[in-house]
Amino acid sequence: MILYRCLTIFCLGFLLFPLGCSTAGRPILIPGSSEDLQDCMSLFPSGPWESVHRIEADLGTGLSFLLLGVTRGDPQEVHLQSLLLSPEGFTLFEGELRKDKIVVHKAVPPFDSPSFAQGMMNDVAFLFLSPSISPNHWGRAADGTRLCFFEELDGFQTEVRRSPDQDWQILRRNDQGQLIKKVSLKRPFVQGLSSSLDLESFNPISYKLKMILIPQRP
Amino acid sequence: MNKFFFLSQIIVFCLFTYATGFPQDLKSLRESSRNFQSIKADFVQKRTLPILTKPLFSEGRFFFNTSGSLRWEYFSPLRNVMLQKGDSIKFYYFSEGIWKPELIQAVESRRMVLAEISRWFQGHFDESKAFKHPTFSGHPVRIVLTPVEGIDKFIQRIEVVLSTRPGVIDRVEIEEPGGSRTSIEFKKVEINSKIPSELFEKP
Repeated sequence: MILYRCLTIFCLGFLLFPLGCSTAGRPILIPGSSEDLQDCMSLFPSGPWESVHRIEADLGTGLSFLLLGVTRGDPQEVHLQSLLLSPEGFTLFEGELRKDKIVVHKAVPPFDSPSFAQGMMNDVAFLFLSPSISPNHWGRAADGTRLCFFEELDGFQTEVRRSPDQDWQILRRNDQGQLIKKVSLKRPFVQGLSSSLDLESFNPISYKLKMILIPQRP
Repeated sequence: MNKFFFLSQIIVFCLFTYATGFPQDLKSLRESSRNFQSIKADFVQKRTLPILTKPLFSEGRFFFNTSGSLRWEYFSPLRNVMLQKGDSIKFYYFSEGIWKPELIQAVESRRMVLAEISRWFQGHFDESKAFKHPTFSGHPVRIVLTPVEGIDKFIQRIEVVLSTRPGVIDRVEIEEPGGSRTSIEFKKVEINSKIPSELFEKP
């Protein structure tokens, strides 16, 4: 009898353990409708776009600088072109992401390392491209927040949140479940793009980017 | 850095030409510079990039005096300023209601550029190893500058267009490989006006 109980507990524990891991840190969700899913996906531009952002980079320990970020994207082609310009308008970095391939066209110090190019284009993709996989599940939290989870085969996860006050967040977690990146998107949206983005990276490098959309002249 | 270097050279060259009544060669420019104490001007910069359907505009102002002081300031779309007084060079940007100092490593190239600007303001145009001597032609006068080999990876051609009014610069156009272009129009140019020294010290 005791052996039976132990086996039962072991088996239940074994069955519940993965469930417990996969849902760790998540709120209990009311199952979402297709409308909720469409709402999550509406955060990302669905057609070609171009943008200019004022970017204030804070590298911590009091180090910060100001840049212009220029991006053109085509989600259907999974294609991004991005430039970083000095405040004077000179190109410091010019890169392109097509599918998974990154090509650097121009880069001057201190923006000329391969790791910078990788990180920069990953950030741009994180901000403007919807995850490349379908969401695993989605729904609403008790406070009305809409959430969509995109879990990749390697264990990394993207989470899209829309709070009842209509502000958005995108969170990125690693295969250990640790938050590695977070972006908050503020209203108003102009031609599908948030007017204000705050990106925080926690791992492997800590930095903050405050991005303000610059309206283009007619 | 190289692009900014050339842009700076051109801006200085243009304004110097304006200041000295359009001399016909660099030697004349250097001679004329002896009567030149200060200059200030507003400018509108139009940056055309292949990935943008509409150009990007910047507006700003600069001040210079021959004692070696320079203030180069943008008002929009980013508000930032570069200050040089003697050997001291500082960079700031405006954020959340205050001026903040910029990351030093990221502005090292600008530091070098400012040193070049000062040389040019003092008439030492021919000391540059990066620019071929400018040619003058047409009406209104167009001054064409061609970079030497190596630099042409960043700049293909620079053209300075003077207005029909003698000595007045209409615009400067810079062509880069890959189709990017920069146009700068100058406004409200003032020569030898009094410039408070604190403009070169504080943002």
